[in-house]
Amino acid sequence: MVEGELGRLSHKFAVQRRRFHPGELDYLILVPTLRCNLACSYCQVSRAAEGASGYDWSDGTRDAVIDLVRQTRSGHLKIEFQGGEPTLRCDLIEAVIGAVPPHVEASFVICTNLQHVPPEAAALFDRDDVSISTSLDGPRLHHARQRGQDDAASEAFEQNIDRLLAQYGSRKVSALPTLDPRSPPDPDELIDAYARRGMTAIYLRPINYQGFARRQHADCRTTDTRWLEYHETFIRRLIYRNWKDRNICLEENYFSLLLRRIFRPGEDRHVDLRNPNPFGTDFIVIDHDGLAYPTDEARMLARAGIIDLSIGNIRQGWNTPARDALNAVSTCDGDPDCEACTYKPFCGRDIVDDISRYGTIDIPRRETEFCRRHLHLFDLAFELIHSPDPAIQYSLCRWLGLGGDRLPAGGLS
Amino acid sequence: MIALALRAASDAPAPFVTRLSLQAESEPALSHFLACTQAGSLWSGTQGLFEVASAAEDLIGDVVLVDPFEGRADRLIRSASRHNTLLVTEQCDQLCAMCSQPPKKTHVDRFDLLEQASLLADQGITIGISGGEPTLHRARLFSMLESVLEARPDLNFHVLSNGQHFTAEDALRLRSPCYRNVVWGIPIYAADAASHDAIVGKAGAFERLMASFAHLLRAGARIELRTVLSSSTAERLDTLASFIVRDLAHIEQWSVMGLENIGFARNRWNELHLDLRRDFHAVGKALDRANLHGIRPRLFNIPLCHVPAAYRSYAVASISDWKQRFSDKCAPCAARPECSGFFEWHPPELVDEVFPL
Ligand code: SF4
Ligand code: SF4
Ligand code: SF4
Repeated sequence: MVEGELGRLSHKFAVQRRRFHPGELDYLILVPTLRCNLACSYCQVSRAAEGASGYDWSDGTRDAVIDLVRQTRSGHLKIEFQGGEPTLRCDLIEAVIGAVPPHVEASFVICTNLQHVPPEAAALFDRDDVSISTSLDGPRLHHARQRGQDDAASEAFEQNIDRLLAQYGSRKVSALPTLDPRSPPDPDELIDAYARRGMTAIYLRPINYQGFARRQHADCRTTDTRWLEYHETFIRRLIYRNWKDRNICLEENYFSLLLRRIFRPGEDRHVDLRNPNPFGTDFIVIDHDGLAYPTDEARMLARAGIIDLSIGNIRQGWNTPARDALNAVSTCDGDPDCEACTYKPFCGRDIVDDISRYGTIDIPRRETEFCRRHLHLFDLAFELIHSPDPAIQYSLCRWLGLGGDRLPAGGLS
Repeated sequence: MIALALRAASDAPAPFVTRLSLQAESEPALSHFLACTQAGSLWSGTQGLFEVASAAEDLIGDVVLVDPFEGRADRLIRSASRHNTLLVTEQCDQLCAMCSQPPKKTHVDRFDLLEQASLLADQGITIGISGGEPTLHRARLFSMLESVLEARPDLNFHVLSNGQHFTAEDALRLRSPCYRNVVWGIPIYAADAASHDAIVGKAGAFERLMASFAHLLRAGARIELRTVLSSSTAERLDTLASFIVRDLAHIEQWSVMGLENIGFARNRWNELHLDLRRDFHAVGKALDRANLHGIRPRLFNIPLCHVPAAYRSYAVASISDWKQRFSDKCAPCAARPECSGFFEWHPPELVDEVFPL
């Protein structure tokens, strides 16, 4: 340790780097339409029928979004188009993309069910700055069951995803499984559905029962411990498989994020895991009706009529008392459980998750699903970090992007 | 190798800076091409006629410093190059074992000319500033950076400094927003004073460096740390990495660089040179440790085929165009566009030790 001034300053700096400091707005989730051509059993969005009217941006909303994008102050911008099925309104996507000022380095993600790929969508996909995100719930049967689809419909989806993968590769085409925590698919079958397509990143995301899904699965208010076990088993399967076949390196995105947050202060781009976590700063969600939400989950809660967490709208902005009220509590600081928790520097605060599960944020943190899940995953992470098992070390190094096959000893300096 | 200093003839009463253009333009800082001559090319500007010993097409867009007394034209900022470095002084207060540009006692103040040159640079480029030790003339240096950046906020500067002279007062000055466009490249060779001081040839250098880092951290200055790899730094590199991730975590980049066989290092090459193909372990571990903790490590000046495959993503094609060379045996190599190659002055018998990828 350097004595004196530098040591003192660098310590202060290290403490601050563990906290999130919001920058300029540089991440937008946009919902140009709520209409969709599918009706998945778990659809969290309370989607609208494909032919319905009144569920797309009005001209006024569109123009206001375009203004917002034009006024981007950050040097980079990420825009995610959600729905509904956003490719039903490629014209709106094009208008938004066209509004990005020339000095801004922008990337776009189109979240689509890939059931149909209209020619306008294909043209958008062809842009270098556009990537595609879709849902792939596992093996064919499983995927079809969750979507309430017949074989032909599933086949159409598979043809689309496989064609796009062949055309663009897995850097551009990614997928997420949406998993029912009560009956997740066999880990290896799920991994195979991805690995077989050359997709190496899998984001395990249990269905958060709210919105439309909440009404259908009323028994699922808390994710039971089976999910934690499933997640852990899944990570261990990945480790085993990576060790056996060095040609492909699989990872689970959320676990990799936790690992990075452990070692790298300032890894704050995941908007649901940071501390403090002020809303309406670097990130905003704009719904089909122009309302502004702090997160996508918050939008769904409002859609489902559970609680209105909108913090403003695209015309008047979101510098509102509603936002300030949320931000006052969007932190781990001062919480007795978090303050006593060894994982606090790596953990974060997601009040929307608490509200969606318990209708309040006023319960002891350690009794929340969020806390239980993170305690479990951090415990697992540290167990793996300190494990001498070369297979484990190998995967950790790959997930952290290192060259060696073993974490540098004394890595937690 | 691209020649940076050319023979030139001019009747101007004093050295001057101008930018060479093909056609006559109204801008007085520009000179335009007149004719090909036996020696090279003839140009005309506000300083009269001058001749430069090079074909005109290679020089168009270059900013040159013409010195009529020395009969020389220095290509200060070459239009087509990403590697332009202005030498502001040849004095230095350290004597580094691997110094590529051993210091001289005297100082010739060219700041005004270099400022003019910077103002004539292409849009948006990064201009390197080096020495000797630029911060020996801090007041002049800061004034130059500030006035250039005020007029040309599109430009960036990268200043090489040994970090021996920054003061608390400087920290106040360096907080000015224009310094967002300035990166300070500062060498550090070890995490302990004894080893660092021995390498830079100055007692107390490490301690003074730490004081400078504190001032620069206060100023929010942008820093690139630089460590030259040699037999004496490699074994301590991982300890240095631990030190950096803990106490210098605010830096933008850590550049770990291959040794140049020039200057002081030339005489002690056999003693200092490190063969990474034989042992990459210590270096790899240090790079991984920095990366693990979110410091960006970069490996400079090392041919890709000397780096184990798993670590190649750290390597950058770094050697400046004008001093870069490849072996004839590199011809079939697929990695050549991403490879740094060798320094022009690398020992010839070693240049052929390549393994095309
Ligand atoms: S694991 Fe639980 S107690 Fe610990 S910081 Fe996270 S939420 Fe707080
Ligand atoms: S390498 Fe060392 S001796 Fe040479 S100029 Fe830089 S600080 Fe001075
Ligand atoms: S063979 Fe030549 S070009 Fe290829 S990596 Fe080696 S040095 Fe570089």
